[in-house]
Amino acid sequence: MSFDRWRVGLAAVYSRWRALERDWQSVAVGAAIVVATVALEIRVPW
Amino acid sequence: MSLRRFLPGLLVLCLGAVLARGVESVAGINHLLVAIAAGVVLANTVGVPDRLAPGIGTHKLWLGAGIVLMGASLTLETILEVGGVVLAIVIGVPAATLVAVELLSRTVAGLSDRLGSLLAAGSSVCGVSAIVAVAGAIHAREHQIAYAAATILLFDAVTIVVYPIVGELLSLSDVAFGVWAGVSMFSTGPVVAVGFAYSEAAGQWATMTKLARNALIGLVVVAYASYYARSGTDTSEFSPRVLWDEFPKFVLGFLGLVALSSVGVFSSGQQASLENAYSWLFVLAFVGLGTEIRLAELRSTGAMPVLVVLTALVFASGLSLAAVTAFV
Repeated sequence: MSFDRWRVGLAAVYSRWRALERDWQSVAVGAAIVVATVALEIRVPW
Repeated sequence: MSLRRFLPGLLVLCLGAVLARGVESVAGINHLLVAIAAGVVLANTVGVPDRLAPGIGTHKLWLGAGIVLMGASLTLETILEVGGVVLAIVIGVPAATLVAVELLSRTVAGLSDRLGSLLAAGSSVCGVSAIVAVAGAIHAREHQIAYAAATILLFDAVTIVVYPIVGELLSLSDVAFGVWAGVSMFSTGPVVAVGFAYSEAAGQWATMTKLARNALIGLVVVAYASYYARSGTDTSEFSPRVLWDEFPKFVLGFLGLVALSSVGVFSSGQQASLENAYSWLFVLAFVGLGTEIRLAELRSTGAMPVLVVLTALVFASGLSLAAVTAFV
């Protein structure tokens, strides 16, 4: 049951993602990385 | 799920990026240039298999995301330091180049109006993106678009090699080199690659200058659509929405992060992480960018468009170099 909900949720996110223009997708990727770095304190190594 | 279609190509981009970093640490060759070379070798030897194409085709997404993140390592103060002069150069040089290419292609080279306009837009504003945007507005033919795009891509490949060499020979400062590359080279990917291959600061200035130049595309499309509609050679209908449609939206993400960085939202550790993140995104993007350089297609460009664009490049490059060395 819970797996199905995850799957439906992921499908909805993917559908939203595909509807975005590529420039906005770039902004979304950038925003996701900023959130991961600032809120979750994830360190990106070089 | 169709997401799986992207995985093989994405894996290749990641492998190329790691390879580029490895070569840099062993041989000391800049990783961005190695990444582009890896893509060129792949595309021009075995070719890009259909299975890899969707994933590799995402490279422009990573370039845009990298540019957005770059905003976190800049502040308004840094930009405004030489911003006024740079803005004047960013507007003046492309405008002069556009007029020069139009005159040259119509009066000297004898190219068709539309091909001349595509070459003018491509060489003055933002390479192939400008060609595609203007082509839609003036209803250019398929072969004119292909011809103009191949000519611009040819010079993208040439400038990636030549600019860093000239920059070193002239001992240009980081800011001067970045602004010079950003104002006079054609497509965004090669500008970012060449800038960061020169130095971190040069890369940031090259990217900012190129973004400002790219933002002019909406105006150029509007101007061409109006011109061809008025001259009676086209029935394109212009709406102000074109300005927004053609505007590179990731610039807004970039500016948003510049604003956050300027008010001190990010700690130095977070900024370092974001810088590392955009460096990785750029390497990924440049492996993909390299796969778009097809030597066989470049050989098919005609002599006259090549001469017109070469003249435009020398003109824009000389003019911007003179302005940059005098005022920046």
